[in-house]
Amino acid sequence: MDFRPLTDTERRQLITALRGNAESDRVILMDRRDTSFAGSADEVTDEEVITAIKSVPCHY
Amino acid sequence: MLRFLASSANQIWGDLQRSLLRARTPVAARPKPTANGAAYPPLQRLILTDGVSRTLFEEYARHRAEARGQEETGWVLLGLRQAVEATVLATLPAGAERDAGVAHVRFNCEGQAVGSRMVRQLDRRLTILGIVHTHPGSLRHPSDADYAGDVAWVAQLRGGEGVFGIGTADGPDDERSTIVGEQPKPHLLSLADLNFAWYALGAGENTYRPLPVALTLGPDLARPLHCVWPIIEAHAVRLERLHRQQAGVSCDVVAGNSGPALAVNVPLALPEQSLRVLLEGKRVRYFLVRDGELLAVDCSEERVDRAVYLLLAELAE
Repeated sequence: MDFRPLTDTERRQLITALRGNAESDRVILMDRRDTSFAGSADEVTDEEVITAIKSVPCHY
Repeated sequence: MLRFLASSANQIWGDLQRSLLRARTPVAARPKPTANGAAYPPLQRLILTDGVSRTLFEEYARHRAEARGQEETGWVLLGLRQAVEATVLATLPAGAERDAGVAHVRFNCEGQAVGSRMVRQLDRRLTILGIVHTHPGSLRHPSDADYAGDVAWVAQLRGGEGVFGIGTADGPDDERSTIVGEQPKPHLLSLADLNFAWYALGAGENTYRPLPVALTLGPDLARPLHCVWPIIEAHAVRLERLHRQQAGVSCDVVAGNSGPALAVNVPLALPEQSLRVLLEGKRVRYFLVRDGELLAVDCSEERVDRAVYLLLAELAE
């Protein structure tokens, strides 16, 4: 395990993720190899996915 | 012989057209956070589940054996966008109603949109990660025309970055090929004569960059839907309308009388009650589910959304 102090950026990201989890039920991601913090992710709305699907360009 | 020569010449010309104008400038600076507010570092790795990998190789091989096998085809990829890696968990096929030829493919997005709703019933975190499409020749890289569309499209994806796979059938198809998949390069997966090369492209970047790919155990969450995809395509617009207008609509693949069928469930106000629409081949049947009991409803309307609202009106009497 790596017990080094978090960098400023890492600390800021972790605090944001914890706040999002507490206030908005946002998911906190964990690195499956060492359980370290690996970012956060929201549930994705249908609109976001469907808008992207409907705008997939023609491919050549 | 003449046809073979013409086909080969077409492929070579297609490859040339794709590669002549490819941007060769270095990668630009990273994009800023995207409109959805999420900021991600650049993707460093793509993870495919074995289920997704099997789908791609099996369906590509099957496609090539079909009457439209010379056409390009493809899949939309759904999965989880993590910090520096993306895990693909589902594939949505281009569909029989795709617009495709030997040098282009435009997916049937109506089927894929409603398909994405069905897959995301399982996990609301699933997002669109990118797409895979095939090339008829040996160009294992997205074309310049691909780039023109993709570079604008990826801005709306998580992290402002998309994953792009290119399928080709240009590997050795003889005794040198094996029945075991190989990974000749970090971004390339091969099985017999089929190859899938993987790339990432961010909004504002000048070129695709090869994306190392890894396999892990896991499903293709959309694979059960593939066997009823013609049904999904046939009813896509009306199913999409139903999903938009009615809360709690869900779909399952179930065993029908002569094969797999698509069941659409519309919950009613009372507990343990719902309408069930069973779509099997060209048949549409309607049922009222009441305390686990299935009651057939006499309704000849084939337009699913219209039939549901007629039945809801009947129940409101």
